[in-house]
Amino acid sequence: MTPKFRTLLGATALGLLMATGQALAADPIKIGVIAEAQAIAGASIPQAAQLAADEINAKGGVDGRKIEIVTYDNHSSSADSVRAFQRAVNEDKVNIVIASYISEVVLALEPWAARLKTPLITPGAASNEISKAVHADYEKNKYTFHGYLTSAALAQSVCDAAKELLVEQRHMKTAVIMSEDAAWTKPLDVGYEDCLPKIGLKVLDHIRFSPDTTDFTPIFNKIEGSKPDVIITGISHVGVQPTVQWKNQQVPIPMFGIASQATNSTFGKDTNEAANGVIYQGVSGTGVAVTPKSIPFTDAFKAKFGNFPSYCGYTAYDEVYYIADAVKRAGSTDADKLIAALEKTDWIGTIGRVQFYGKDDPFTHSIKYGKGLITGLMLQWQDGQQVGVWPADVAKAKLKFPSFIKVTSN
Amino acid sequence: MLALQILIDGFAISALYALGATGFTLIFGVSGVLNLSHGAIMVLAAVAAWAAASLFQLDTYSGALIGVAVAVVAAFATYFAVVQPIQRSRRIPNEEKEIFVLTGTLLWGIMIQELIAYFFTNNAKTVLPIVEGVVDIAGIRTPRNEIFTAVVCCLVIALLWLLVNRTRTGKAVLAASMNPRGVTLLGLELGSIYIVVWAIYGILAGIAGVLLGMFLGVSSYSVGPLTASAFSIVVLGGLGSVSGSLIAAFVVGYLETITAYLISPAYRTIPALLLLVAVMYVRPQGLLGRR
Amino acid sequence: MSGFFKSRLFFISLAVVIIAATLPLYVSGYVLGLLTVAYYFGVFAMSWDLLFGFAGEVNFGPTFLIGVGAYTAGILNAQYGWSVYVCIVLGAFAAVIAGLVLALPALRVRGPYFGLTTLVAVLILQNFVVVFADLTGGEIGLTIPDVITIDAGANYWIALGFMTISALILYGLSQSPIGLVLQASGQDPVQAGALGFNIVKHKLAAFIVSAFFSGLSGALLVFYMGTASVGTVVDVSVGVNVIVAAVLGGRRTVLGAALGAIFLIVAGEFLRPTGELATFIVSAVALLVVLFFPGGFLGAALSHESR
Repeated sequence: MTPKFRTLLGATALGLLMATGQALAADPIKIGVIAEAQAIAGASIPQAAQLAADEINAKGGVDGRKIEIVTYDNHSSSADSVRAFQRAVNEDKVNIVIASYISEVVLALEPWAARLKTPLITPGAASNEISKAVHADYEKNKYTFHGYLTSAALAQSVCDAAKELLVEQRHMKTAVIMSEDAAWTKPLDVGYEDCLPKIGLKVLDHIRFSPDTTDFTPIFNKIEGSKPDVIITGISHVGVQPTVQWKNQQVPIPMFGIASQATNSTFGKDTNEAANGVIYQGVSGTGVAVTPKSIPFTDAFKAKFGNFPSYCGYTAYDEVYYIADAVKRAGSTDADKLIAALEKTDWIGTIGRVQFYGKDDPFTHSIKYGKGLITGLMLQWQDGQQVGVWPADVAKAKLKFPSFIKVTSN
Repeated sequence: MLALQILIDGFAISALYALGATGFTLIFGVSGVLNLSHGAIMVLAAVAAWAAASLFQLDTYSGALIGVAVAVVAAFATYFAVVQPIQRSRRIPNEEKEIFVLTGTLLWGIMIQELIAYFFTNNAKTVLPIVEGVVDIAGIRTPRNEIFTAVVCCLVIALLWLLVNRTRTGKAVLAASMNPRGVTLLGLELGSIYIVVWAIYGILAGIAGVLLGMFLGVSSYSVGPLTASAFSIVVLGGLGSVSGSLIAAFVVGYLETITAYLISPAYRTIPALLLLVAVMYVRPQGLLGRR
Repeated sequence: MSGFFKSRLFFISLAVVIIAATLPLYVSGYVLGLLTVAYYFGVFAMSWDLLFGFAGEVNFGPTFLIGVGAYTAGILNAQYGWSVYVCIVLGAFAAVIAGLVLALPALRVRGPYFGLTTLVAVLILQNFVVVFADLTGGEIGLTIPDVITIDAGANYWIALGFMTISALILYGLSQSPIGLVLQASGQDPVQAGALGFNIVKHKLAAFIVSAFFSGLSGALLVFYMGTASVGTVVDVSVGVNVIVAAVLGGRRTVLGAALGAIFLIVAGEFLRPTGELATFIVSAVALLVVLFFPGGFLGAALSHESR
């Protein structure tokens, strides 16, 4: 170790002292945000959290305490995230952490939330394992909250929409599942396999591919070979490439399901408008008034950052609000009191009415899915715009496909 | 039917691999440099073409030209800022220059990759194809763009062949790749030959990058795999042997396509990797390599 | 070797280790956590340097050896519930076997061909992890139920002690007659062979030692982090960091490699406020060192000291 290195360490120690001094003076509520700044979905997380914090602070904060957002870029890596989490808790003394849209990252952080006894909430990871672990060992893992739908709920949401849009309106009968090989798609695929036949879509084939895949030609050819009416997707790490190749190869089958990258408003440009026709699930969407808060949020986000938020922007924004609400109710940022208050959350946010499943439900600490709570939406890219197509009470647009798609009946 | 499908799809991807690897092997042949920023330069070309078209509203042809131009600039930057200083350095012993060039170009590639991710996110980008639509080849629906890719690759490689075998500059390059010292004896300036080679390299990598952006799309994540695949193809073919690289590109391209179609897309790259290890074991100098 | 104990380098190293050992008394758990990772990384880099700096072989696949050690230990613990210490030992031995398997084809070839063979080994391991997802956790990574301890201070001392012992052995080996033969064979294999040394045997030995420490360190890291994933212990980019660390710290110095690794990890963390540009800045600094101070940190320092 060089002397220079020790000087650096000294500087850190000094910085730490100064930080503690400031904390005593203002005593803000500190929320750590660990996210993927370079990924299009992840980039919205710190932005939306900051927006919510600014709004709350402008109205005087929580009982006079300001909300302070401390952000960390995790380079989409679990190792970096663990390090950031340690830094957030031990050095920056945050009270709670909002982290990541990648299930792998959240699963790596979950044991650390337990070890460092700091609440953790994810705005965008979907794996069932996150909340199942809380259920399996509540005392240890109660620190983790799942602020987004589980893969099981996502599959249910897609099936509920497919029943109305595809089976009842378009009389479709068969489907092929196409999903990337990742933590969150395992339970998603189980959910699809289970609910698609129930709504009347026979599953002809099931293709899982590596998230590193760049050439989708063989996959689309294989799917076309089994002649399904629709491709049910489960993709998040990939998005642009399959969509563009789908259009360039003029695969005559519509894509319907989860496509996280499509939730971002730049997706149209990234794909040179190949996105037109893609139908994807979202918890909320541009121009869709899921609740009275949805549209004001997207407008404020666009005004501040120049683009619309991705799906985890909505959830991250809501999370800051209901964390603030929980701190207010708990009257403290003490971890155990905060957890007790978060468990009683009943918050109307931008994505619907947020409540968490309890200790005895299988998906403990995950947000509740269902009518009157959160149902999700289906949206479609049409002429370079994202429009809501389901459910009918909030989304009015009709499905519209590019000319190369051959939809069986209208 | 399936066989024809594999034949068509495999050809396009193989031709693209061949084009990407040709410049890489040429540089090695002439100057002994393995440029590990290769993938970054290809991705940079594609992203530049994408940015020109979608951010600055240029037409597809201008976008593609800008992509290639950016690759040439990046190739020269690699040579003058990284490779040449290492080759001329007195502090680096000669027998270690190779590892320094490898490390230096690797770091340079990471820098380019990070800048791309910083300015354009790590999301995949696709360049709008010059030709759109599909044609029917004996019942196989083939995108026109795929045919275009294959044709351009073959044309460029043919042009390169003409350049090397039919022009004076080309012959000098060829001579330099066989015996650099001999070329100096003949009174040819080795330095200017290097510049010509890096220019050719930039053009080849640029075209390959832009075509890849049109055909499959690229992201900053593609940098590592692209470098690794060029490296593998070039070693498989025999370092410095252009014709060896061409053969190897087709072997790898078809092996991957066949695996993806007949076994599973998830196992796509494995057989090619195993083949590579096997070749290393039996014939370390590669298919057409000189020892 | 005996000269080392009298050299200035030895006293500096000793002082640094002693100061480092007292760190838990006055720095935060976060800094300790950071250095813990840095020390394990330091062992990766030193092991790599033994193979490259002394045997002259550019191993592009340090993470093949690290990954085998890490995953073996992790899988045995997560899937079969074996005790942490047994898993760590078996992880190290698995890495040695992997090193032997890799050395067989790799030592037949030289230069770029050797580099490629080792790189391919990493790519194959990566595919293997993904394909056998039931066993390895696939892209998700493997969550390890047991950790050595969650106490930041204890973890730090384990890592520091491990790095110090590894450094002593690896440095000692590099200065021993074996190290000199390796160095000779790296620079001029023909002449070294003509002098009657069995180069292949010496290189194989270097390979095995390198594999042992890489695997051991990988296994320990897994039980510190509580997860094993491709992105942490196998990915080519992790290997690139190891190589950069060794070149940055000064190749052929062994100890410099550890210095480079600590610098890389700590610098990366200090640059975290720069967000996405952190990796760019670290790479740029490393490139400048490669271009202008090819001897690395320790190389520059040692060149003033006569040996």
